[in-house]
Amino acid sequence: MTRSWWRTAVGVLLTAVMLFPVYWMVNVSLTPASRMRKSPPDLFPVDPTFEGYARVLDEQLPYFGTSLLVGLGTVVLTLALAAPAAYALAKLRPRGRGSLMFVLLVAQMIPGIVMALGLYGMFVRFGMTNTVWGLVLADSTIAVPFAVLILTSFLSAVPDEIVQAARIDGAGPFRVFWSVVLPAGRNGLVTSGLFAFLWAWSDFLFATTLDSGGALKPLTLGIYRYIGNNNQEWNAIMATAVVASVPATVLLVLAQRFVAAGITAGAVKD
Amino acid sequence: MRKNLVGWAFLSPIVAYLLLFYAYPLVTTVDLSIRDYTVRSFVRGGAPLTGFENYLTVFADPTFRTALLNTVLFTVVSLVFQYGIGLAMAVFFSRHFRLSATLRALFLVPWLLPLIVSASTWAWLLNSEAGVVNAVLRFVGVDGVHWLTSPDWSLVSVTIANIWIGIPFNLVVLYSGLRDIPAEVHEASALDGANSWQSFRHVTFPLLRAVSTVTLLLGLVYTLKVFDIIWIMTRGGPSGSSTTLATWSYELGFGNALPRFGPSAAVGNVLILIALVAGLVYVRAQRKQEAS
Amino acid sequence: MNSAPITHRFAVALVAAGLALSACSSSTGDAGGPAGGKFAVWDPYPQFDGGSEWVKVIEDCGRQAGVEVERQAYDTSDLTNKVLLAAQQGVAPNVLVVDNPVVSTLAEAGVLKANQDTGLDASQASTNLMAAAESEGKAYGVPIGANTLALYYNKAVLTAAGVDPASITDWAALDAALAKVVAAGKKGITFSAIGTEEGTFQFLPWFWGAGAQLTDLSSAQAVAAVELWKSWLDKGYAPNSVIGNTQTTSWQEFATGEYAFAENGTWQLGKAGFEYGVIPIPSRAGGVAPAPTGGEVVTVPAQDDTGREATAAKIAGCLTGADTVLATDTALTYVSAVESVRERQVAANPELAVWVDAVKSAKGRTGDGLGTRYPRISQPLWTAVQAALTGSKAPADALKDAQAAAATAK
Repeated sequence: MTRSWWRTAVGVLLTAVMLFPVYWMVNVSLTPASRMRKSPPDLFPVDPTFEGYARVLDEQLPYFGTSLLVGLGTVVLTLALAAPAAYALAKLRPRGRGSLMFVLLVAQMIPGIVMALGLYGMFVRFGMTNTVWGLVLADSTIAVPFAVLILTSFLSAVPDEIVQAARIDGAGPFRVFWSVVLPAGRNGLVTSGLFAFLWAWSDFLFATTLDSGGALKPLTLGIYRYIGNNNQEWNAIMATAVVASVPATVLLVLAQRFVAAGITAGAVKD
Repeated sequence: MRKNLVGWAFLSPIVAYLLLFYAYPLVTTVDLSIRDYTVRSFVRGGAPLTGFENYLTVFADPTFRTALLNTVLFTVVSLVFQYGIGLAMAVFFSRHFRLSATLRALFLVPWLLPLIVSASTWAWLLNSEAGVVNAVLRFVGVDGVHWLTSPDWSLVSVTIANIWIGIPFNLVVLYSGLRDIPAEVHEASALDGANSWQSFRHVTFPLLRAVSTVTLLLGLVYTLKVFDIIWIMTRGGPSGSSTTLATWSYELGFGNALPRFGPSAAVGNVLILIALVAGLVYVRAQRKQEAS
Repeated sequence: MNSAPITHRFAVALVAAGLALSACSSSTGDAGGPAGGKFAVWDPYPQFDGGSEWVKVIEDCGRQAGVEVERQAYDTSDLTNKVLLAAQQGVAPNVLVVDNPVVSTLAEAGVLKANQDTGLDASQASTNLMAAAESEGKAYGVPIGANTLALYYNKAVLTAAGVDPASITDWAALDAALAKVVAAGKKGITFSAIGTEEGTFQFLPWFWGAGAQLTDLSSAQAVAAVELWKSWLDKGYAPNSVIGNTQTTSWQEFATGEYAFAENGTWQLGKAGFEYGVIPIPSRAGGVAPAPTGGEVVTVPAQDDTGREATAAKIAGCLTGADTVLATDTALTYVSAVESVRERQVAANPELAVWVDAVKSAKGRTGDGLGTRYPRISQPLWTAVQAALTGSKAPADALKDAQAAAATAK
C-alpha cells in the first residue's frame, strides 16, 4: 500500500511537469494584456480577465462549426475510402496488393507542403478553394493512407472462418464486407475515424493554403488571426486554444480504449 | 482470377483517389522541379525544361546541408526521446496505483491540442524576455537562454516542443502493447529470480518489438513532415539555424515576396525520396522479421 | 438477389471518389472566380472582418460600378503566391490590393494591367508613392495610402534618464541616449529584425541612413549599419528577441513601458498606454534618414474577358477616390497618397502631421531602378542581418555573402 502511494505521488509529479505548458496556456488565457510581458511572469492569474473568452465566444463560434463539419466530413470520406480498400487488402488479397500497400506507405510520408502546392493549383482551377468539402478532400489526404494501413491490419485479425462461413451461407463479397467484416472491425473503424477527426481538427497547413481568403474558416485559422502579422493577442489566442481542445479531449477520452486496441492489434498482427 | 477482379473492384475507389489527390499534385511538383520558372513563365507558361538544374541549385546551396543535417538531428533526437520517455511512462503506468487511469488520461492532453496551439504555447514559454522558462532559470541563478533567437538553441527548442507533442502517442501505443503481454510471462521471470530491470530487459522489451517498430515508423513518418511547429516557433531561423527540408521547401515556395517554385518543389521531392527510402527499409525489415 | 445490391451499393461507395469530378463540373461558375458574375477583390487586411468599414467601402464601390463583389483577405506574406497561382490557373481576382514592392514583379509577369489600358486614374497620388507602382515606364494601380517608419519614444523614460529627444539627430547622439537610458535601469530600443520582408523594411532606414545602396550590399556603409544594430545587442541596448520580433511583437515590448525607443510604423499610432513622442530616424552623419514607404496599391489584374477589366478599374478608382479613401486610411492609420486628403487627415488628427512629413520624404523600396530585382536583394539582406545579429557571421562576411547571392539571383 505504501509503495502504491509512492507511485501516485511520482505520477502526479510527472503529470504536473508534462501538463505545465497546458497550465501555462490556461494561465496566459486569463492574463490581461498589460501584465502579459511582466518579468518575472505571474505564476497564477492574479487579476484574471475573461476578455479573451468573451472574444472567442463572440468571434470564433462560426469557425467551430466549420471545423466540426470539416472534421466529421473527413471522417466519413476517409472511412468510405479506406474500409473497402482495407477489406480487399486484408481478406480478398488480390494480386499486386503489395505494391499498393507500399504506395500507401509512401503516400503517408509525403509532406503536406508538397501536397498543398499541387492541390492549390487544382483547387483554384476548379473553384474548390474556400469550400467545406474542398477542405474535407484535402484533409482526407493526411488520413486516408494511414486509415487503410491501420484498418487492413485490423481486418486481418478477423478470423477467416467467419468469412468462409458467411460465404457458404451464400453471401457475396459485398455482403461479407458489409455485414460480417465491418462489424467485426469496429474498433479499427473507430481508431482510424478518430485519427482522421483529430488531424482534420488541427490541420493548419491546408486550411491556410486552400481556405484562408474567404469567410469560411476552420478554427486553426481563427486562432492564426490572433497570431498573424497584425496582432498577437495572447489571451485571445490561448482562450481559443483552451476552447478548441475541449471537443478533441472529450472524443479521445471516450474512444481511448479503441484507439490503443486498434493500433496494437495492427502492430502485433504484422 | 475472379477473386482478383472483385478485390480490385473494392480497391478502385482508393486507386481513383490516389491518382486524383496524390499522383496529380506529385506530377505538378515534379514538373515544377524540372523547369526553370520565372515569375512570368510561371503565370504565362512556356518555362524551359532544365532537367536537374533546380536540384543542382538546391544541392549547391549552403542551406541544403544545414537543412539536411537539421532534419536528421530533429528526427532522430525526437524519435529517441519520444520513444524513450513514452516507454518509461508506459512501464510506469502499467502498474495499477491510485489515480493511475486518470493521470494516464491527462498525459494525452498535449496530443489533442492543434499543433498551431502547442507551437504558440511553446514559443511563449521559451520567449527570451517574457517567457516563464527563462524566468525560472534566472530565479535559480542561471542566465536566461535565447531559446528561439540564438542559432545554438533554436533547433533544440523546436525539438523539445516536438518531443513533448509526441510523448502521448508513444505512451498510448506502448502502454497497450505492454497490456497485451500476458501477466504469466512476468510472473515466470520473477520466479526465475529476475529483478524488475532484468525482467524488462530480457522479457518485456523483446516482446514489445513489433509494437515498437510500428510506433517508431509512424513517429518517423510524422516527424519528417513536421512543419507547423518549426514554422510558428522560429520560421526556421534565426538565419536558418532551425531550417529543416520541410520548412525550407515552404520558405522557398511561400515564405517570400517572390516565390521560387522550382527549387521549392525540388526540395519537396528530395524529402519524398527520403521517405521512399525509409519506406523501403521498413518493408525489408518487416520481411526479415516475418521470415525469422 | 446478390448482384443487384452489390453494384448499387458499390456505386454509393464510389460516390466519395467521384465527388471531386462531379463537383468540378458543377461549381466552376459560382465559385466567386472571375468566370462567374461576382467581382473578386483580394486584399491583405485579414484584420478587417465582414462588418468593418473597409468591407462596406468595397461593397459600396461594387454597387456604384453596378456589380456584386466578393472580398477575400490574405496575410500579406501569402498574397503574392496566391495571386500568382490563381493567375496561372486563369482565375486571377478582378481587383487586387497588394503590398507596393510586389507590384513591379506582378506587372512584369503580366499579371497586372497598366493604368493606361484600363483607364484607372492615378494623377491624384503623390509621385514618390507612385514610383513603387511603376514598371518600365507604365503605371500599375493607385496607392491606397502609405506608412513609413520612425522612432517612437517613451516620454517618462527619456525624462527620467535626462535625454532630450530633440538632440537625437545622428547615430552618435542616439547611442549616447541609449547608454543613458540603460544606465538609468531601463531598456533601450526595440525593433524587428525577423527573417522576412518585415526585417528588411525595418533595417532600410539605417542602411540608407548610412549612405548604403541596395545595389551594393557589401559596401562599408552597409557594414556600418549592420554593426550599429549588432552593437546594440552586444551592449544590451536592444533585447535579443528583436531577431524573432515582428513589428507587432516589437511594439508589444515597447508597450510594456520599459523601453525608451521603438522603431515602428504609422499604424501603431495611439496604441500605447502612456505618453509617447515620435522623432524621425536619424542618419549616420546627421539629419533624417530616408525611410521606406509601406502600404498597398490597388491594382487591376489582367482577365481573359477584357470587358471586365474596365469595370474592375472603376471599382479600383472608387476605392482610391478622395472621398472613399479617407475612411480607409483612417481605419488603417495610413497617410493618404492624395494631398487634399492628407490635409483633412491632419486637421482631424494633428498627431499625424509628423507622419505626413515622414511619408513625403520616404523612399520606395523598388525605386533606384531596382524594380523586380528588389525581392531578390531583400532576402539576402535580411538573411545577412540575422546572421550578423546572432553572431554566426561577422557583419562584413555576412554582407559579402548577401551581395554574392543578390548578384547571382535572377
